[in-house]
Amino acid sequence: MGSEQPTVLVVEDEPPLVEIYARWLESEYRVRTAQNGSEALEQVDEDVDVALLDRLMPGMSGDEVLAEILDRAPDCRVAMVTAVEPDFDIITMGFDDYLTKPVEKETLLETVDRLLERSDYQRLEQEFYALVSKRSALQAAKSAEELSTSEDFAELEHRIEELETELDTAMGDVDDGEFVAMVRDIEAEGEDPAEPPDGETDPFAEDVQDGADSDDSPGGGAR
Amino acid sequence: MSYRTTGLGDDPVAFNEGTSLLVSGASMTVQERVYDVLGGANDDEETAILISTDRGVADVVRSFQERGAFDAGRLGVIDCTGRDGPESVQGAPVRRLGSPGDLTGMSLEFAKLVDRFEDAGAGDRARVGLATVSTVLMYTDVRTAFRFLHVFTSRIRSGGLFGIFAMDPGMHDQQTVNTVRAVFDCEARIDDDGDVDLRGSGFRTA
Repeated sequence: MGSEQPTVLVVEDEPPLVEIYARWLESEYRVRTAQNGSEALEQVDEDVDVALLDRLMPGMSGDEVLAEILDRAPDCRVAMVTAVEPDFDIITMGFDDYLTKPVEKETLLETVDRLLERSDYQRLEQEFYALVSKRSALQAAKSAEELSTSEDFAELEHRIEELETELDTAMGDVDDGEFVAMVRDIEAEGEDPAEPPDGETDPFAEDVQDGADSDDSPGGGAR
Repeated sequence: MSYRTTGLGDDPVAFNEGTSLLVSGASMTVQERVYDVLGGANDDEETAILISTDRGVADVVRSFQERGAFDAGRLGVIDCTGRDGPESVQGAPVRRLGSPGDLTGMSLEFAKLVDRFEDAGAGDRARVGLATVSTVLMYTDVRTAFRFLHVFTSRIRSGGLFGIFAMDPGMHDQQTVNTVRAVFDCEARIDDDGDVDLRGSGFRTA
């Protein structure tokens, strides 16, 4: 995201609410507003990071608008704003979170913040997996002695520990809705053939081969 | 308050709230251990939720009954074996999924069960079992499974729950085993004689 302020789109058919939400958000974010579905679609492009979407607007339904938003801005996080507490099923429909009316300032800002953090988390998590999987390949291939004397391996261990802490911070407390939304995203990405396969493991194929020999050597077993 | 169990060897072990434990060893053995630990919930504030990929819910209920640990108001089962059937068995709520690869379904049904127990006043402390990670790995790639388990254990930590996950290392290559291992706070390795080697953090032995 860099130094640029993230952009939040507020879609709400009651003008006083639009005004209040916009005022709360303006100090930290660029704010766009829309009072109905078609206005929302005029405002949506890839610059929008988070959308707050009233589900029960006249005209287009919130669900239709959601589908269009995700089509135009696939990385946009969408929170449903609703009068009644929804079922977790909304998550499998594509919403990332929800806000129950009346929405308080603190809750609104917190929710937007958490939705933005989720992107940070995903970036860290990719690195975490790549390093853990690298470490596992080395552990499977090299003897304990070899690893304990390797500076590279020590550095790898250190970075993994750092990332664990960073991930905990980025993730914060995970509630049930977030949990379901994150698993939904993980599963969707897993099915996506366009996702590059673990490129990081390739350079290690050689290492693994080399190590396999040393594993057979008498000194290989620490036990 | 910790989660106590006598299911891992002679001495009782107390796991801190939010801890996730991997139970590794031969397939049948680790599943039995998961039931031992899940069924050890003996205080009235605790519930148990089991995600079962191998045993159908009838067998699950029987396994709890054998241990004298079946309490319909405090057990929820997510049956991922693809069997059809009623939405409760002997009074305990049952959710059914078509496949152990349906991770979104698992998380969704888990969230609903937690919600249901909380609404019913059964408390917000829960032991959560997944038997087994090995079966999940047959339906999805390692990366997806790893990320799923990572988010799941984060949810367990945030909620102060206790996670118990079974894996048979003999079913996977060493790299996969090591990778999955990295997600958990601690691991109980069960050898062929049933001896337990408990390592990692998040627990105290009494």
